[in-house]
Parts: sequence; structure tokens; C-alpha cells
Amino acid sequence: MANALRNWVDRFLGRGEAAVTVPPLDGALKPNNILEEAPVGIHAKTPDNLVVTTTGLVYSSGSTLHHQPACGGAGAVLLDAGAAVTAIAASETGLLAVATPRGIAFFDASGSPAAGFSSGTQACANVTAMAFSPDGSLVVAVGSSKNALENWQRDLLDGERAGSVWRLDPNTGQAAVLASRLGFPNGIAIEPDGTIVVSEAWEKRLVRLDAGGKMLGQVMEDLPGYPARISGSARQGYWLSVFAPRSQLIEFVLREDVYRKAMMAEVAPEFWIAPALRSGYSFREPMQGGALKQMGILKPWAPTRSYGLVIELTADFVPLRSFHSRAGGRRHGITSAVEAGGKLWATSKRGDEVIAVNLGMQGN
Amino acid sequence: MASANTLTKLRYRFIPDHVIGEILSKKWIDNAIPFLVLICVIVVFGSLIPNFFSGSNLSITSRQLGEFALVCIAMMLVIVVGGIDLSVGSNFALGNFMTLALLNLAGWSVWTTVPAVILICGSVGLLNGVLVGYLRLRAFLTTLVTLIIVRAVVDMLLLKYAQAMSMSFYQSDAWDLMGLGGFFGIPFSFCVLIVVAIVGHILLTRSRPGWRLMAIGGSRRSAHNIGLSVRRTVCATYTISGMLCGLAGVLYAARLSGAGTDTGMGLEISALTAAVLGGNSLGGGRGSIVKALIGAVIVLVMTNGVLRLGLNSGSGPMVLGLTLIFAVFVDVRWLKNRDKLLNKVYVSPTYIELPEPASTSADSGSAFALNDRLKDVEIIGLADVESPEDVILDDDDYLYCGTRHGDIVRFAPPDYKTHEVYAHIGGSPLGMSWDKDRNLLVCVGGMGLYKIDRSRTVTKVTDETNRSKLSVVDDSRLRLADDLDIAPDGRIYFSEATIRYEMHDWPVDALESRGNGRLICFDPKTGRTQTVLRNLIFPNGICTAQDGQSILFAESWACRISRYYIDGPKAGTVERVLDRLPGYPDNINRASDGTYWAAIMGMRSPALDVALRMPGFRKRMARRIAPDQWLYPNLNIGCVIRFDDRGEVLETLWDQGAENHPMITSMREHKGYLYLGGITNNRIGRIKLEGRDTSWSGYRNYWGRA
Repeated sequence: MANALRNWVDRFLGRGEAAVTVPPLDGALKPNNILEEAPVGIHAKTPDNLVVTTTGLVYSSGSTLHHQPACGGAGAVLLDAGAAVTAIAASETGLLAVATPRGIAFFDASGSPAAGFSSGTQACANVTAMAFSPDGSLVVAVGSSKNALENWQRDLLDGERAGSVWRLDPNTGQAAVLASRLGFPNGIAIEPDGTIVVSEAWEKRLVRLDAGGKMLGQVMEDLPGYPARISGSARQGYWLSVFAPRSQLIEFVLREDVYRKAMMAEVAPEFWIAPALRSGYSFREPMQGGALKQMGILKPWAPTRSYGLVIELTADFVPLRSFHSRAGGRRHGITSAVEAGGKLWATSKRGDEVIAVNLGMQGN
Repeated sequence: MASANTLTKLRYRFIPDHVIGEILSKKWIDNAIPFLVLICVIVVFGSLIPNFFSGSNLSITSRQLGEFALVCIAMMLVIVVGGIDLSVGSNFALGNFMTLALLNLAGWSVWTTVPAVILICGSVGLLNGVLVGYLRLRAFLTTLVTLIIVRAVVDMLLLKYAQAMSMSFYQSDAWDLMGLGGFFGIPFSFCVLIVVAIVGHILLTRSRPGWRLMAIGGSRRSAHNIGLSVRRTVCATYTISGMLCGLAGVLYAARLSGAGTDTGMGLEISALTAAVLGGNSLGGGRGSIVKALIGAVIVLVMTNGVLRLGLNSGSGPMVLGLTLIFAVFVDVRWLKNRDKLLNKVYVSPTYIELPEPASTSADSGSAFALNDRLKDVEIIGLADVESPEDVILDDDDYLYCGTRHGDIVRFAPPDYKTHEVYAHIGGSPLGMSWDKDRNLLVCVGGMGLYKIDRSRTVTKVTDETNRSKLSVVDDSRLRLADDLDIAPDGRIYFSEATIRYEMHDWPVDALESRGNGRLICFDPKTGRTQTVLRNLIFPNGICTAQDGQSILFAESWACRISRYYIDGPKAGTVERVLDRLPGYPDNINRASDGTYWAAIMGMRSPALDVALRMPGFRKRMARRIAPDQWLYPNLNIGCVIRFDDRGEVLETLWDQGAENHPMITSMREHKGYLYLGGITNNRIGRIKLEGRDTSWSGYRNYWGRA
């Protein structure tokens, strides 16, 4: 009773649960334009997951995997998985795991199917991220069991917590659930001691699970955006990609059930008030007050539905520095980033580009 | 779903939410809390004390109130100017004593005594005024000193004359009337109070001296900087305060005919309490006669009530003290939070359901289909002009536009590379038109309708219209005159987009989407300005139809264009011309082939269209999140459409990338070219039109060859 009353008062006054505050970008997250100003990268159709293999970089683009030497130079198609690739992972031995809606397949470094591995009989759809743990098993994040991955905005707006993390033994094909009812797990990092760090997008946090799947705690919380994949840095730390920004308006819409349902029923998904991988391409997208162009200029601090952000973290998950592409930029929706050859490589999924930022220039 | 919608619709049609914000923005709302306290005090004491509402009690109370409230008004005046007058009690006693002394001992008549006493007490006030105003002594200390000195003088005089005074007894009809009588059953002193209060209220709120007084109290330095004579005004205020005390003293003398050492003792505390309780700010600059009166009634009812309840002697001041601290607390909270509250409740959206927009997709085959015809627009005056909302050309091909700096800038033909400030008006010049004599008429946001004649002299045409009868706020002043056009007979029709928002936050009106705008007519023959249509949803562009029988007006947030007949059989009626627009129409102008151009300043987004049906959602959004984050209409891209009298859209000119003209608020066809203006742009655009009459100009089309 008292709780209901307090909730009602909160709703009325916009306090507590109903507050729509969004953390500011400051400290190590202070905005810059490094990502936007980086030299022209590799043009690729919806590049998504980027991994470092023994021979260079591999990124997914639609249903194909592309190989790219880390020192630069021309890339080449490595293989065609036959269906849209949603996640890939590379082991230290050169084994490639490729997830598509059909399941997880294994390939060797040259792109030919690797024999002797299997993903078992589990239906492994909607895989968002994978990582090999030191013992050779594969940790798999399933974004949502309710919505297909391309409907991730619906998953967010419906407030689904239908994600899970699995462990798969590629040798036997046996799989076990480590954690479930997660808010769109979207990235995995394995720490040296075998614990698993998962980015939980809809909760805007990173959580740590022990090898058996027990929740150990949050390592980062209240991020200013929705986190995506995590990869290791050359300084024993991590790179965290943030694929979309949070905004007060979206937080507000998430709390407005009637409007949210009507909008989802009547409006095409690309015009929803929801985070996006790119924005500013159609005049039918929602616009916020601060984004009104003055004297022909869109201010870089304008409210936006899409943003480009990669954060470097220490081994203890403390932000060190960040690379941004701000409102009005093209390199938004960074879904994965890896460090290789002195550069940070990042995929701008709907910007159709793989960007390389020279890390030598940035110091540290 | 449908019935819920109907309910929402009805609720927003019949419950006017916006009135709350308007009431809160009125100055008199400051009195709300003191007034509530007043009601409470009267109810509490009225129920506790028998015969409280009886005629005799009311008569006695109002007679006392007459004296006390005059002192409170005296105190209030000084507080408003930023000072304090502690000598009111002693001064009051002096007035009382002098009245009795002059009447009884000196044998003066009432007619000479009263002015003399008022002057004597006024001179005490003058002394305060000179010390505080001219010699810049501290008000508190100075008046404390006069409190003591005047009290001492009264005591000494009493010692000397009290016996003589008590021996004699003055009597006359006028004196009896003052002390015991009244008019129409209203005690004399109360009548005096009413007169003083009315005169004082008018002086304070409607006259220059009153405004100066408020200005000095509000900010002494600023008042000095704008050239007000601070010292003289402060001095005069203390003098008036003294005179009011004298008047109160006279009335007290007439009522009780007795002078004692306790006369007016502690009166300064009661008066100060009353002034603060009424809501007059001790810091100055905020106060009114009404506040003083409310405070006076509260204090008087309480002190008398405590006395009549027979509580012991300390309880009267105790109740007074507690009430005072409560009043100060509430006053501070109110002052601090009033603007916050106003900000939160001012935006009050209403229900609007827009019809499905016409399709704009490139392959839809509709007249709105996307194209890139504005892509190669020539740019004029890049970074030289800011916010050219409207552009216009004269017959010599000069190009004129307004800027947000309040200038009218003129570009010279043929290449429009050089420009000059044609005239400076101020405000934000918006829509423009030529009249028959080649004067440029300009709607200026924040100012009204202005005229620039051929010698470049700027004159005001009109800045107010008739006030609507049922409006809480004064809507006679023009806030956002937007676009105009001139009928063949010379009448000027112009739109006022909204009466609730100023120039800088006009897009917020879209969140409300209420009919906040109006269509106004200025008739140069009679010089009168008259509102002809109200409750229009952001009326924007105005254009006289080609036949001169009607004017076309665009309602931006309703995405439609309508026609208002000004002549002929249908005069006075409104007819829809065009709706289901995919964007928000702005200015309308004539095209060379008998059709019309209309600028679409922004496009509808489906997410906002859904929100428009949910006023509660928009209201909460306005309260919860920062204005920068509010969902707006998409005003970053626009287009130009051409339509005819039947409401058929003939063509659309787009710039899909919106590189050169993020927003298009107006366009003019002139000699085969189309000129584009945009309110958030820093440039003017020009594009060659194919197959148009290259000799056509707007001026000639309206007024023939000059």
C-alpha cells in the first residue's frame, strides 16, 4: 500500500523510478570528434562483429566474413555463411565460431569448415556475442528469446528481459545455461581467471558472472549509452563499444505505456522514439528541440537517437579514454571494436564502414 | 479505444488547462496565500467569538481598521521603496496629541486642524526622508531614532498639557461625524480608508510616480542608472508615510478623544507584521495596497480576537509572532517556487488529431513526391543575414529581408552581392508586403505592425487589438505578428501566430497545438485594429486571393490552409482549401500564373502525430524533461509547394539533403526566379523557374504599373 502510494507520488512528481535522468558524458567520456575525424575506412555493408584472429582481422558483413590484414592493405572475402552472421569469435588456436540464425558453425583460419566441432542440438538463434574461454569452451550470449535481433528496438521498448548466456563445448556440442533473464546481453569478455563479464544492454551495465554462471556483481553501471561488444586492449584492459546513446526522451517514453504501445502499433520502427544505429536520414524521424538547426548548423551537443562511442577501460573496468562521433555525425552505431596493429578498428553498422583510429597519435 | 479518444477530446475541449498557467503568471496571484490566511483567520475567530459577525462588532472593527490600515499602508509604501519606517507609532501618537491640542487648547476648527496635523506628521516623515533619502543614513536606525525622539516629544508635551486638555472638551458636528458617524452606515474612518486605498492603488499601479517607486524598490541601482531621481522619490515616500500616520492619528483622536502615553505603543510592530503578512516583500519592489489591507485585516482580527477570547496578556503578541513567522516562511517558499511552478504548468497541450498526411515518397506519384529541384539553389548573402523569415522584391529588383537583429537588409541587383541596412526597426521582422504607395509593411515579432516609407522612416502602424472578453491575460498587445497581406481596398490583414509564446520559443506552441493564434485586420481608413478570427492553430502565412475576395491563411500546426472571405456574398465565412499536408505550412504568396506558392517550414513525424492525440503525454514530457529534449516538429527540412484556388497541389520543390535550406519559411516569385527565406537560416536562396513569366513581379500584380 505504502509502496503503491509512493510509486504514484513518484510518477506524479517524476521522482525515483519515474525520474528520467541520464548520466552526463564527462571525465574520461568527455566528447571529442576522434571517431568522426578518423580517415576514411573500409566500406562494407552493415559490418557488425570484428575479431582479431591469428592472421589478422575478421569482420562480418551481412552473410559474409571478410579478412583484413591488421597493418592495412586490401581485404578479401573469407567465407560466406549462407545467412546473416550475428556474431563471431576467434580462439587462440585459430578456430572461428560463426553464429547465424541457423546455428553456430566452426571454421578454421583459412575459412574452410573445421571438422570435429559441433554446436549440438540446441536452437541457438539470436546470438549477439561469443567468446572462447581459456579452457576451449565457447561462451554464447543470446540477446532475446522473444524478438529477432533486427527487432531489438521492440525488445527494448517492450522492456523484455529475455536474454541468456550459455556455455557450449565445441568438442561435444553440449550446452548449459549460465544465466538467464538478462536484458539483452550484447557483449562478452573472459577475464584471465575465467570469470565472464557480460554487457547487459537494456540495463546499461556490465555484470560479472563466475565460470559457473553465478552473478558476482556489476562492474559498470548506469552507462550513458547501450553497451555492445567488449574486446581486450593491448594494455590488459578492454574496449567497450556503445552502440546507441541514452536520452531523456527515450527514458521518458519507456515509462509512458499508453504512448509507447500506440507508437509501436502505428509507426514504422525506423521512426520510433527509440535508440537507433543511425539517424538524420529521413525527415519522418522524431526530432527533439535541441536538434533544431540554427544558421544551418546542427549543434554537436544536440539530442540525438544515435551516436558513435568506444570506451577504453582498464583491467578494473575504469574508463580511461573514449572516441566519439557526435550528433549529426556519420560513424554512429559502433557495434564492435578491437585493437590490432596499433590501431583501433571499429564497425559502424549502419554507417556501412569499418573505421581505423590510429592509437599512436592519441598518446597514453 | 474510440470512446477513450472521445473522452480525451471532450475533456480537453471543456477543461481549459492553459488558464492555470495564465492565472499563475498574473501579478495578483501573489495575494493568493495571504488571502487564504485571511479567510482562515476570519473563519476561526468568527466561529470562536460570539457575535463576531454582528453589525455592532463589524462597525467597531471597521472603524479601528480605518485607522490601523492607514498606518499599514504607510508602512507598506516605505517597504516597497526598499526601506522601513519604525516611527509610524510615535508619529501616530503625535498626530493624535496635536489634533486634540489644536482643537481643545488652541481652539482651531476641525477644517484647519486636520490639514495642520497632517502637515506636522508629514514633516516628521520629511525629516526621515531627508535623512534616509538625501543623506543616505540607514532606514532602520534613522527611523528608530525618530521613533524615540518623537515619542519623547509626545511624552513631554503630554506632561505639560495633559491636564489642561482633559479639562476642556471640543464639540462640533464635523468632529462627531468623524468620530462616531459615517456614511450609509459605514464608519467615517473606513470611508477615508476606502478613498485612500483606491487613490493609492491607482497611483501605485497606474501612474508614473508609482512605477518609479516600485522600480526603485526592485533595484535601486538600476533605477538610478536609468535616470530616476532615487533620492527625491525615497524622501517623498517617507513624507507620504508620515502624512498617512497623521491622518490615522486624527481619526484615532476623533474616535477616543483622549491622549495617553500608551497611544500608538507597539503600533510599528503590528503594522510591520501586517505588511509582511499581506505579502509585501521586506526587500522592496513587491507590494500593493491590497496586500497591506489584507495584512491589516488579519492582524486586527487576530489581536482583537485574542483580546476578546480573554486569553492572558502575553498570548496576543505570541499569536501574532507565530503568524508572522508562518507568513514569512510561506512567503519565502512561494517566492522561490512560484516561477518553477509556472514553468512546469505553463505548457498545456491539448488534443488534436491530424488527418493522415499525403504521401511524400518519391515513387508515390503524388504532387508531394520527393525530388531534388532545390538542390542547385543559388545562395545570396551567406552569413550576412541571420533569420530572413520573409523576402520581398520591389519593382526595381531590389531584394529585401528582415534579420533577427531587427534590421531590414536590402540587396542590390543584378547579382545581389552587395547589401545595406535599409532600415532598422528592432524586434524580429517577419512577414513583409508592399502597399499601393510602395511603403514596406512589416510584421515584427514582439512589436507589432510597422511601416517603412520610401524615405526609410519607420512608423508604427499598430501594436494592439481589441482585448477578448473572456481572457485571463491581457491579449490586446501583439506578441507575435507573423505575416500580412493587403486587401485591394487597403485593409491590412495579418496573423498573430500565438498569444502564449514569445518570439524565441515559438516552436513550443506546437507542443500545445491549441488555437492560440488569431487573424487581425487593421483598417487604415478608421485607424482601428480588430481581431477577425480567433482560436486558430498557429496562423502563419497570409495571402490575398487573386480575385481580392478572400484571404488565404495557413494554420501551421494543423497542417492546413483555409480561406477567409472578406468581400462578396460569403464575406465573413471560412472555407477549407487544403489539408492533409505532410508538413507545417508557413508563408503563402502569389505565383505568376494565378496560383499560389506556400512554404512548408517543417515536416510531420509520425511519432509526434501519435503524441498529438495524447495531451497528457506531452504535458508530462514538458514537466519531466529539459526543453532541449522535448519532441518537436521536424523543422530541419522543408519544401515549397504550389497550389491553386481549388486546393489542388500542382508541384513541390524539395531539397532532400536540406543542405542549403534546412528550413524554408517563405518564398517569392519575381521575374522568373523564386527567392527563398528561412527563419533559422543565415542565407537567402534563389532558383530559376522554368517556363514562368519573366516580367511578373509581385508589386505590379497587386497594384498595377506604378
